[in-house]
Amino acid sequence: MNTNLKISNVTKIYPGCVANDNISLEFNSGKIYALLGENGAGKSTLVKILSGVIIPDEGKIYLNENNLKLNSPLDAKKNDIGMVFQHFNLFETLSVFENLIIDSDEQRESVREKIDAIMKKYNFSVDLDIPVLNLSAGQKQKVEIIRCLIRSPKVLIMDEPTSVLTEQETSELFLSLKKFSDEGILIIYITHKLKEVMQLCDEVAVMRRGKLVSVSEIKNENIESLANKMVGQNLKTIKKKKAKTSSDQLIKITNLNFTSEDPFETNLMDINFSVNRGECLGIAGISGNGQSELFQVLSGEIISEKNSIEFNNNYIGDLSPQERREYLMAFSPEDRLEQAAIPQMKIFENVALNNFKSSNFFNNGLINENKIKEHSKKIISDFNVNTDNIELKSQFLSGGNLQKLIIGRELITSPDLLICFNPTWGLDVGAINYIHETLIKINEQNKSIILISTDTDELLKLSDKISVIHKGKLSKIMNSEEVTSEKLGILMGGAN
Amino acid sequence: MIKIVKRDQPSRAIFFFTPVLAIILTLVAGGLIFFILGFKPFEALKFFFIVPIADKYGFSELLLKATPLCLIAIGLSFCFKSNNWNIGAEGQLTFGAIVSGGVALLFYEQEGFYILPTVILAGAIGGMLYASIPAILKTYFNTNEILVSLMLVYVSKLILDYLVVGPWSNPEGFNFPETRQFSDSAKLPLLFEGLRIHAGIFLALAAVVISWFVFYKTYLGFQMKVSGFSLKTAKYAGYKGKKMIILVFLISGACAGLAGVGEITGPIGQLHREISPDYGFTAIIVAFLGRLHPVGIIFASLVVAITYLGAETAQIFMQIPKYTGQVFQGMILFFLLASDYLLFFKIKFIGLKK
Repeated sequence: MNTNLKISNVTKIYPGCVANDNISLEFNSGKIYALLGENGAGKSTLVKILSGVIIPDEGKIYLNENNLKLNSPLDAKKNDIGMVFQHFNLFETLSVFENLIIDSDEQRESVREKIDAIMKKYNFSVDLDIPVLNLSAGQKQKVEIIRCLIRSPKVLIMDEPTSVLTEQETSELFLSLKKFSDEGILIIYITHKLKEVMQLCDEVAVMRRGKLVSVSEIKNENIESLANKMVGQNLKTIKKKKAKTSSDQLIKITNLNFTSEDPFETNLMDINFSVNRGECLGIAGISGNGQSELFQVLSGEIISEKNSIEFNNNYIGDLSPQERREYLMAFSPEDRLEQAAIPQMKIFENVALNNFKSSNFFNNGLINENKIKEHSKKIISDFNVNTDNIELKSQFLSGGNLQKLIIGRELITSPDLLICFNPTWGLDVGAINYIHETLIKINEQNKSIILISTDTDELLKLSDKISVIHKGKLSKIMNSEEVTSEKLGILMGGAN
Repeated sequence: MIKIVKRDQPSRAIFFFTPVLAIILTLVAGGLIFFILGFKPFEALKFFFIVPIADKYGFSELLLKATPLCLIAIGLSFCFKSNNWNIGAEGQLTFGAIVSGGVALLFYEQEGFYILPTVILAGAIGGMLYASIPAILKTYFNTNEILVSLMLVYVSKLILDYLVVGPWSNPEGFNFPETRQFSDSAKLPLLFEGLRIHAGIFLALAAVVISWFVFYKTYLGFQMKVSGFSLKTAKYAGYKGKKMIILVFLISGACAGLAGVGEITGPIGQLHREISPDYGFTAIIVAFLGRLHPVGIIFASLVVAITYLGAETAQIFMQIPKYTGQVFQGMILFFLLASDYLLFFKIKFIGLKK
């Protein structure tokens, strides 16, 4: 049976921003639809409206000509609309089966039969009786999908499903999605990754700043044309010039280990690598494989053995972040809002977090506000932060501008080494380009970078050497020309 | 139709307006309560809020009550601004009073300029020691400081009880639960003949100035602020977050201890059972009413001090139970928390639609 989903003149206004501006779209089963847009384009708002999480200010939704009233996620479920969110909604300590029946009012046995049938049909293999916390991200996602399939949905919405998956898991997911589509489930796939749209989808709707920009068939599009629609301008492609390989070693890590008392952290085992001047070492991996711990060990938030880190011929393993900064290291953590910056504090106060001695932010224990402000103004103009008010609380900066501020703050001391962790996570294409250009510039000035990232494309674009971290262990270090994203994917999944 | 809209940005004007609104609402609700109890609301409010401070003596009493509230609230503001929920200031006050009282008793019938500073210092140290217990337990053993600091209040009160009826009780005191009178050199000097206001008020004013300076002008204050917002950021910036936690507790304990010193070395001049009418708890209200800002705390301590005086006056002149004072304190906090809603939301009055 054919499914037809129609969104008609949907508008949702938030204070200071129109998230969805009079959007009308029509979907038919048998096809896979992509909803493409940058962060903040309004695609999440739109699918949240479809799944009953958000109620639109105006507009209607029709499923097979029936006007749906979606006042809660339950309404969406009742109307056969299933949704898999970007962040999993699973109870970690409950078993897979318990998670699956939690919103079901049927008999346990009959649900179990149903689940077994679904798993057999789509070739899923998940142990139903182990706690969810023992599952990989890919398996957790399968649990979420099964939870939708139990209700035999007419529409399945996937919100950025590949952000936590490996290359292999992604292709498995795509196969399943195609199968669902063949069976008549209408699939709406939300993403900002262009490659996936080209690979998977039949039709694509592009959103920008709350407006629907275009609806077109994939066969009439290519990556560049979609990117331009998404961003609204012609993007220049960034290409890194191959750095002259220097043999001048800047940092060397020897036999570094870290054992955590926290069961949710990853232990680091026998890490060895070195980075030369002017080089960018990329560290790939699926999130949660020890990247955060590695970053903290390198930044000094976690102290290690003195001799395990040698920087510029000094042993610095036992120094604090502040002391390491004096040796010309700089750090840009993953979490912009909870670690790298304090949203409730003003821009210039956030700049003062990088307290480098010669910057004279604090004299004799007193705050030197003029100096900090002067410095902040320089960062804002040098790094294109889109504001001129340094008294603004940084929570009012967009992610991209905040990241520029952070990178600017770290670079203004002209460090020899910048260690960054997912520097473009969640940013729009314009900001990503800017950050990438900046990182390339650093290398050109013969400064070094350690780039820990879960974005394989980014790593391949920026790194001179690449290694993969899996369960706290580093793979051997490879030259980036020898590496393909498939090869990285295999290593990220733990195979040799 | 009324529509509630989320604010894009908490408004600064509203930030200072809500405490005033809370006080107005408290007065209205208070009047209503008096009316229900069968009193004339305006007259009762007059006895509560105007009569007590209408003369010189009343004003001195107001400052006398406001002094410990202000001191403690200043200390607490350090804790609260950095998300450390020290609610045991009453215990730190009591313990500070015990230590300083003990030192004062050591100098029984002795005179000397060095005695008073020693007694004051002892009080601050006593408060710090007592505050260090929840601080250390929190930082090194992950205990909840709310629970620990609160329970320690009762411990300190029992210690005080034991001392004043037991080993420290006045041998010539006919078994009254109190110690000997401190010597004059161990007492804070009174400021005016015939009034009870004493030099402790200068301690409070000094605390206001110093706290403002430390929090807004020094690197130490900046580190406390950052640590309070996010320990993760503090760690990343290279600050010693745990030390900051202990430090704010010590500051808070010292202030409460000093308030304790003021209570026993002021007009009373001895240790006894009831040294504080829950100043340590009421100061929590003062700290929030004053928006954790030094200047705000001065005004808030004056406002809340009136409720102590008003309750007594109203009892004397109108036979209104003096516990209404606590009702008023509770109402202020209640309305303050409620009107904080306006910080994040605004109420729009719009015409009927269609």
